[in-house]
Amino acid sequence: MKGARAAVELLEKQNVEVMFGIPGGVLLPFYDELVQSDIRHILPRHEQCAGHMADGYARVSKKPGVCVATSGPGATNLVTGVATAFMDSSPMVAITGQVATHVLGNDAFQEADSFSLMMPVSKHNFRVVDPKLFPETMKKAFLIATTGRYGPVHVDIPVDIFQAEITDEQMAKEVRVPKPKRNLEGLLDAIKLLETAERPTIMVGGGVIWSRAGTEIMRLAEMVMAPVVTTLMAKGSVPENHPLVLGVCGMHGRQVANYALNNCDVLLAIGTRFSDRVTGKLSEFGAKTKVVHVDIDSSEIGKNVKGRVGLVGDAWTVVNALIAGLQKRKKSPTWKQRIIELNKECSCDYNLKLEPLKPQKVIYELSKNLPDDAIVTTEVGQNQMWAAHFYKCYGKRMFITSGGLGTMGFGFPAALGAKIARPKSVVVDIAGDGSLQMVSQEFATAVENDIPVVVALLNNGWLGMVKQWQKLFYGSRYKASQFTVPTPDFVKLAEAYGAEAIRVERPSEVAEAIQRATKSEMPFLIDFVVDPEEDVLPMTPPGKTSVDCIMGRCPWKGGVC
Amino acid sequence: MEVMMLLVYDQPGVMQRVMGEFNRKRINVETIVVGKCEIPDRARIVLSITDREKAMNVLEHIRALQEVIECDLVDQSRHEAYALLSSKEGLCRLTGSVQEVEAIVSKSQPEKYIQAMNAI
Ligand SMILES: Cc1ncc(C[n+]2csc(CCOP(=O)(O)OP(=O)(O)O)c2C)c(N)n1
Ligand SMILES: [Mg+2]
Repeated sequence: MKGARAAVELLEKQNVEVMFGIPGGVLLPFYDELVQSDIRHILPRHEQCAGHMADGYARVSKKPGVCVATSGPGATNLVTGVATAFMDSSPMVAITGQVATHVLGNDAFQEADSFSLMMPVSKHNFRVVDPKLFPETMKKAFLIATTGRYGPVHVDIPVDIFQAEITDEQMAKEVRVPKPKRNLEGLLDAIKLLETAERPTIMVGGGVIWSRAGTEIMRLAEMVMAPVVTTLMAKGSVPENHPLVLGVCGMHGRQVANYALNNCDVLLAIGTRFSDRVTGKLSEFGAKTKVVHVDIDSSEIGKNVKGRVGLVGDAWTVVNALIAGLQKRKKSPTWKQRIIELNKECSCDYNLKLEPLKPQKVIYELSKNLPDDAIVTTEVGQNQMWAAHFYKCYGKRMFITSGGLGTMGFGFPAALGAKIARPKSVVVDIAGDGSLQMVSQEFATAVENDIPVVVALLNNGWLGMVKQWQKLFYGSRYKASQFTVPTPDFVKLAEAYGAEAIRVERPSEVAEAIQRATKSEMPFLIDFVVDPEEDVLPMTPPGKTSVDCIMGRCPWKGGVC
Repeated sequence: MEVMMLLVYDQPGVMQRVMGEFNRKRINVETIVVGKCEIPDRARIVLSITDREKAMNVLEHIRALQEVIECDLVDQSRHEAYALLSSKEGLCRLTGSVQEVEAIVSKSQPEKYIQAMNAI
């Protein structure tokens, strides 16, 4: 059979249900074969969004998302989508077309060295130059994306590979990739630390979402009487309505979460890379703390926080091993009681009825009105941090955000991918006006393919987070952070694409608007016109410690975190 | 000086990927030798960097690359150096212990020379 046919059959054999892509010259042999296939094909309006849609799909389904772009500009447009997935360890197979092998390297029309471009932003990548190896390369791509620490794999396919003859034998070739090595030598040390800890705390990261270890982590937390804090990426892995779960920590985290991090004597960190947004000034982080670091990726152990007990393995397996090993657990309920008290007090009232409308009020109503299996995605900026801080994730709720790369324009296409993966769930993108303007063309994709997601736009007329930093750290000298009038009329914009849209300016109208949007069978935008002066506080300035935390209205009374 | 030895798949793009890790971590590779080895379709890369801590830091990252089969630091006793010198007297090839080669190179002040580390 021809390479193009082989490509389609290989995708079908991987049980790919949906792919996101934009065709181009070098991909036409492949698209011609897709005519015959049952794989659903979504046509985004920009390749970056093809990447984010595949990513959103993967984060919900836990299966690799597939995205496709043509050579040259298609591939360069896709880079941001792949890089975003890479930074958040999301499994993906990204396919790019390429000019024919006999002109590769000659600056042919629409040639870009996408193999080199993708290399530092993907888990692994291939350029297929020998048709004989094409089937095994595709199989390897899917395996690598979902073995060990998940990640995007890029395959660059020259057009003549699609036209070359592939034999059944080549198609049948089985492939293997090495299993990640486990290293639990430190298990006994880790158990001893947990057993003797006076003030243990568990910090979980995105790895726990991929490994689905939330239930086990709560069991462990109850056994050792430890509070659980999450990174931004882990929001949703443990139920935020449980008294021991303190929510998101870090720069814009909840004070009680940072308090537990900074005052514990033993920290069990699971599936997290200790990002600078979590740790603040690295040298101060956990200086007085004994750290047990669990990660599936051995290169993470000791990368940012050094000299600790490291356990290499997936979160689920290691947590179960810890549970099995814990025996003479010391009961020290003082710490647990204190934290539970502080956690109760750390619930500030963000049901703000002030005008102009406060963004926190919108998040409050979303938290209150969305169903227990709703999926929330976010854009990047203040919208993302308000969502992380004030939205409560429990039950089957999911929280999907670009934590690692911080890609504006991620949330909307990711919401579309998420909705495709779980069509029965309400999916809401908590958006900023700057971010949405980067990807607003995807309303066309949403309407065309009947993907009824809700965009809850926190419209402050500013690149709000940039403004906040200019206000706090650059003497309120604002440059290039305000959208001077007229910003687009977002209601008209969404309507122009055939979506439904309403504008909300009053606190009293918020709840009803949300209820209406979630019941709609069309893509739905709510343009919440919010107070542009509102900052995301509390905030620990970058590179600083909790002592320097800017508190704002935060009622925290627990003392220095 | 630390010497690192890698066993890799012998195919295009591998050097770029390996060097990419050193680049990202801002580690200057002092010397590098690559060649075919006893296993078909595999190659060995031997490279040296000055800082032990940096070498230890990058090790696991290199091991995580799909095209890298093995990667280890080589103990000092197995380090070898060689150099190719060009001076008025003509070409001169040196091999030997690191100290020996360094001593001769610096003493003979050649017009041009290249020096590399190797180990096996
Ligand atoms: C693609 C991209 N460009 C620039 C930035 C830098 N940046 C971070 S937040 C932000 C402002 C976001 O504005 P908006 O989407 O309106 O959100 P708000 O902070 O106002 O809620 C910018 C420009 C980024 N994260 N991503
Ligand atoms: Mg904004």
